[in-house]
Amino acid sequence: MNDRNKANAKLAGQYFGLTLWLIISLLPPVILLAAAFNETAMFRSPLALLTLRDFTLNNFSVAFNAGDFWFYFRNSVIIAVASVIISVAVCVPMAYGLNKLRPKIRGALSFAILAMRFLPHVVLALPLFLIFVDLGLSGSRTGLLFAHLAIHIPFAVWMMVGFFENVPKEMEEAAIVDGCGPWKLFWSISLPVVRPGLNALAILIFIMSWNEYLFALFLAGSDAQPLTVGITRFMGGVEAGAQYGVIAAYASLIVLPVIIFALLANRYIVTGMTAGAVKG
Amino acid sequence: MQNNLLNRYTRGWYFVLPGLIVMLLIVAFPLGIAARFSLHDVFLYDFSNQWFVGLDNYARAWTDPLFINSVKVTLLFTLANTLGCLIVGLLVAFLLSGKRIRFKAGWMALFLLPFVMTPVIVGITWRLFMWEPDFGVINQLLGFFGLTGPYWLTDSSTALFATALTNAWHLTPMAILVLYAALTTIPDDMYEAAKVDGAGAFQTLWHVVLPMIRAHILFVSIIIMTSAFREFDMVYTMTGGGPGRSTTVMSVLAYNRGIANQDMGMANTIAFTMFMIMAVVAWLYIKVYKVNKEASA
Repeated sequence: MNDRNKANAKLAGQYFGLTLWLIISLLPPVILLAAAFNETAMFRSPLALLTLRDFTLNNFSVAFNAGDFWFYFRNSVIIAVASVIISVAVCVPMAYGLNKLRPKIRGALSFAILAMRFLPHVVLALPLFLIFVDLGLSGSRTGLLFAHLAIHIPFAVWMMVGFFENVPKEMEEAAIVDGCGPWKLFWSISLPVVRPGLNALAILIFIMSWNEYLFALFLAGSDAQPLTVGITRFMGGVEAGAQYGVIAAYASLIVLPVIIFALLANRYIVTGMTAGAVKG
Repeated sequence: MQNNLLNRYTRGWYFVLPGLIVMLLIVAFPLGIAARFSLHDVFLYDFSNQWFVGLDNYARAWTDPLFINSVKVTLLFTLANTLGCLIVGLLVAFLLSGKRIRFKAGWMALFLLPFVMTPVIVGITWRLFMWEPDFGVINQLLGFFGLTGPYWLTDSSTALFATALTNAWHLTPMAILVLYAALTTIPDDMYEAAKVDGAGAFQTLWHVVLPMIRAHILFVSIIIMTSAFREFDMVYTMTGGGPGRSTTVMSVLAYNRGIANQDMGMANTIAFTMFMIMAVVAWLYIKVYKVNKEASA
């Protein structure tokens, strides 16, 4: 009986800890959302905003119109989608091929990719700024896309190598014995096994690309600016001034797609993020 | 032998080559240009005039109190993030792995949200609604306990703490996720055995659990460390590097030098220094990882 009480007290403690962390995790985004639906968000306590006493949708229409939302939205979507397609097309075969190279070469390449994976983004943004001026790509979506790919490709290869390592060798050997060619071996034998990894990769790259800010600040000029630059410019502009409600509405519009996406595709994000953990 | 045949037959290089070429073009080539710039005097909007100055920029950097300050700030920021995320991450992962906890996947899905939130928006949200001195959540909570909180982001003695904490909030899900995955691989009878041997909760954690998830702790520390080390978005949107130079991390300083001061040579020097530090970290990680792997094999 005593043991059972002790066990129940322990369980309650565990749930208490988890709930506490859940509140800490969700409070900032929830307050942001609440502020977006409130008038005069500035003068009231954020906790009072949660009651939604001054409910309004007006903040969103200001954000859409004065904030040029769709202009930035278009750039964000185009760059993110192109990033996903190109990184998957280039990195998946590369990750597959890396596992087939001789260990020495493979080790050297893995180190290079890891070093690129840890690369501070600013060390690419500065030289790319100049290179794009030379190539006439400055302020273009294509230029910005290249910069995104420079970050996504090492990440994607690194992540996918782990998935390809899980393809059973016996399966590939059996296929070769059956007369399967190198291309078919990749396409019909290995690729189907790493399917969940592919979904995870596409989702994570989309989110990374959508969230990117540093490159956009350096390289986007005025035509290619994505939403992350859009909101900071909007905050600095006279339309927003210190209207926290409008800023919150704009911010919610940027962050909601990612949050919904993350909740729906949660399983894949978990797979993708733990992928590199077991290997080097 | 068999293995060798498989390697030759599958034509690995054909698959690697396209990716490798793209990487050389868009990563290695710009890196080379950055290295080259770091050895030149070159100014924004005037790229045609460049003078080779050797290591002069590096010498100038290491005698510049602002640069040295930024190194200190970056290291503090990185250290605080790594330790904070690891400790909280381990704690939450430990709670979540409790045998009788239900809806584990649901908890995890919600715990992940800070991580997927756009860093710029994280910065804005925390600045406007959490750290705001008069009506922000943090100071209101402190007020509830009869305390008066400082002007977090505009006070140079608290700004770094506040930005680091915000960034740690954003990165902790990574630690929870990886460490939770690691904890689920520990078989139940390990805990039972520890219990039979009379080990307390802390002893079990220290002598049984932590050694078993060593590789995962290493992995997650390195990911958080490198991510915090290069952080720009969050710091820039929260404080812009201020007040004064209290939150000027190296990324922000490189940006200021290159764009505001138009000194691209110095900006590249700072950025390339960051890259070299990270390359050493990558090299060390691979070394330690190998040692670890051999030890556990």
